[in-house]
Amino acid sequence: MKQTNAAPALQAPKRRLWKEILKHRYLYMMVLPCIVFFIIFNYIPMGGLLLAFKDYKFNKGILGSPWVGFDYFQTFFNSYQSGMLIKNTLIISGMKLFLYLPFPIILALMFNEIRNKWFKNISQSILYLPHFISWVVVVGLVQRILAPDTGLLNQFISGMGGDGSTFFMMEPDYFYQIMFGSHLWKSIGWDSIIYMAAIAGVNPDMYEAAKIDGAGKLREVWSITIPSITPTIVILFILSLGNILSAGFDQLYLLRTPGNMHLADILDTYIIQIGLQGGQYGYATAVGMMQGVIGLILVVLANKISRKVSDTALW
Amino acid sequence: MNKKWAKFLALPLAATMLITGCSNSNNGGSNASSSPSGDASVAPADKPATWIADRKIKGLVFMGTDDYTEDMNPEIKAEIKKRTGIDFEIEIMKASKSIDGLIAGIAANDLPDFIAFYLNNSGRPEMSVVLKAAREGVFTDLTPLMKDTKVYSKYLQEDFLPNDTKYGVMFRPEFNGSTYFIHMNVNREGGYDSRKYAGGPYIRKDIADALGVDPRTIKTTDQLYELAKKIKQGGFKDSNGKDVVPIGPNYWGGQEIGKLFGDLEWGEENQWIRPDESGKMQHEAQNPLVMKKVEYVQKLLSEKLIHPEFFTLDESQSTEGALNGTWGIIANMHNYQDFNQDMHYLPLGPLNGIDGEYQMQVAFKSGYSAWAIPSTTKNPEDIMKFADYLATREGKLLWKYGLEGRDYTLGADGNPLVKQEVMDLRTNDSNAAKALGFGGVKNYWGELLGSTDIDWMADFGEMEYGDKLQDSTSQGALEIAKYWDWDAKRANANVFDAYSPNAFLGEFARGNELKAAFDNYKDSLVKAYYSKTPEAGKAVIDSALKQMQAAGLDDYLKLLDQKHADPHTKISYRAF
Repeated sequence: MKQTNAAPALQAPKRRLWKEILKHRYLYMMVLPCIVFFIIFNYIPMGGLLLAFKDYKFNKGILGSPWVGFDYFQTFFNSYQSGMLIKNTLIISGMKLFLYLPFPIILALMFNEIRNKWFKNISQSILYLPHFISWVVVVGLVQRILAPDTGLLNQFISGMGGDGSTFFMMEPDYFYQIMFGSHLWKSIGWDSIIYMAAIAGVNPDMYEAAKIDGAGKLREVWSITIPSITPTIVILFILSLGNILSAGFDQLYLLRTPGNMHLADILDTYIIQIGLQGGQYGYATAVGMMQGVIGLILVVLANKISRKVSDTALW
Repeated sequence: MNKKWAKFLALPLAATMLITGCSNSNNGGSNASSSPSGDASVAPADKPATWIADRKIKGLVFMGTDDYTEDMNPEIKAEIKKRTGIDFEIEIMKASKSIDGLIAGIAANDLPDFIAFYLNNSGRPEMSVVLKAAREGVFTDLTPLMKDTKVYSKYLQEDFLPNDTKYGVMFRPEFNGSTYFIHMNVNREGGYDSRKYAGGPYIRKDIADALGVDPRTIKTTDQLYELAKKIKQGGFKDSNGKDVVPIGPNYWGGQEIGKLFGDLEWGEENQWIRPDESGKMQHEAQNPLVMKKVEYVQKLLSEKLIHPEFFTLDESQSTEGALNGTWGIIANMHNYQDFNQDMHYLPLGPLNGIDGEYQMQVAFKSGYSAWAIPSTTKNPEDIMKFADYLATREGKLLWKYGLEGRDYTLGADGNPLVKQEVMDLRTNDSNAAKALGFGGVKNYWGELLGSTDIDWMADFGEMEYGDKLQDSTSQGALEIAKYWDWDAKRANANVFDAYSPNAFLGEFARGNELKAAFDNYKDSLVKAYYSKTPEAGKAVIDSALKQMQAAGLDDYLKLLDQKHADPHTKISYRAF
């Protein structure tokens, strides 16, 4: 209350803000756990980024350890693996970002056109299920299906008169197909939910008007549904750009074999191998930080471009 | 506005800090919760001579739950308390890989009274982690604590420890007489064998009989190839009626098996370094022999004589194949496997090495696993005294044989006689047996601090727990050892006291880089096996060699030459 006289100009908006908060206190209380969650698990750990510039000592902790400047970044870019790791990461995450993008949208559009409620529910449930299966199990299934001689696919091939002994997991030629196929199977159902929600929000009057104008189903999808959900697609795409240098640790770690390692080694697996298993925290943090910073720059750039060319933007 | 947001952020931040701060102060409670130990140098009048202190000792174990368990038997715990005053408790750090847990545990800077971890030798990856921690003052110097102990004081004697344990693990020159870890499982006598192991490839007895082959006559990889062809042509079936795979993987999961490639294997498997003809250390990738091995494996793969996933098959499927008899030849197992006590698989070979006829390699002494006391532990001498007690015969009797009367009786010679019902329980219900809480029934809490200065025969009159009982599980194992002519091989064995080639990566300036290149070579070798042609395989090997050379392989080999010239740091290079 002492401030009332000292800064009367500031007092009014402050009071208004508290009034607003008080008025919507229940909504604020609902959002509080989320804020606490992000502070504890996302913002406080950011302090650990200091490790990227420090030679971590067990007994001195993060703050007490000596500074090493940009040494770790230099080491990484001088490493013979860095080029391959960045290239592999960009190819795999690029496939997951760009090539994968239309699939959940198409699935959501297809779900939207199913009229039989019973069939819709069943098929949705079946497609959502893989999301809940861990990558360990999924890759285990993939390995068995693709196993040489005894695997389902090879048995089918030999049943059709083929060789049936191809070790698909060891052949680099099949790596991208296996990686993308398993990612698609596991994620497509779950990722289509948000597009389903967006489609549900499209004003039905527009479809009625289109029908009166003589539009067919495809025309409705093309001219009404897709333009209506474009902002959702753009926003999700911009957000996912932040992960361009994270190609998915668990899937790649498990799919990696000596045969495909030159394609499957990515930054995420490298961080685990060198940083955590090798105890080089600072180095691992530096590589991880690089992933984050490049992701952030891309998100900011994409958001700017999107705001310029369309009305859709994150901020 | 900025100030306002700062306040909004500051409030939850302050709350979090408070919570974190509070939890940290509680974490320190592992030690604080210990009862004050008082002066434990002399046992109080009303306590036994083995009394140490009335306190709690808690250990954090960075080893797998397959090998250790947190569950201790209440009666055994009470007995420990009665004899020593110690309330002993262990916790196992669960992690996908034990070293991940160790790194995270040390970095968290919240360790209990002692920690235990895997450490076969100074070349194991854990070594660099604990060494860094020791250099940075995380652990207590144990040398002064060992001086007045009964068993551990032997570690300070001149000839007790093997070279690697002494100079590589514990009393490293850089520590000037101090030591920060105790390397465990050191035998009392050099060249002592705690078991008659016959490890290597095994062949199904019925197949060998049907083919009229004596498995012991298979000595070379060419003979093995011919045998595999015969197995394939023989049309043998497994217990499910499926075709037998001539050569199946290692019992414990797919990997390179040096013992299967005997005369084509350069040095120890996963090390692949040994002296060439001129006596200079050389890596396998630099020697033409590697291409012979690659071509050999390519031939086995293309003719379907070896399991197509030989190098990558997971453990459960590898073991299942062995149990079902799907593998005509199991690439690697040993004679103490429960499923083979009826000898339906017989040891094959052993195959010759590149130096000529097979010779058994016996380590003079070798350690396994280690423990350390964090510098935050109060009264660390209590932990040392407790470890020393567990390492005495009385302590070993407790953690290996359990309680007198309940689990064993004492014979006229003072040695324990295992009760038959305990043995039966161990065979029929391993979990119930484990709940009895001692090493003989596979509950190994006592090994962590007490398993060293080992000579089971001298201490308890038998090499294996329960050997004196006729139907004990090791009887089949001993029969196999006899079939394999273990005693003769042991008499002719090469007893060595040496370091693994990778043991010096920690002191090599580019050790991390070279280790990554070695790991890459291991994968590249498998990749070469699966290449379509020998030329493609050679390209893979050459590329891996270039990476190793770029990471300093040549300098490292020179370092190994220097080490090998020093009698204290000989390099081991013969496959076992």
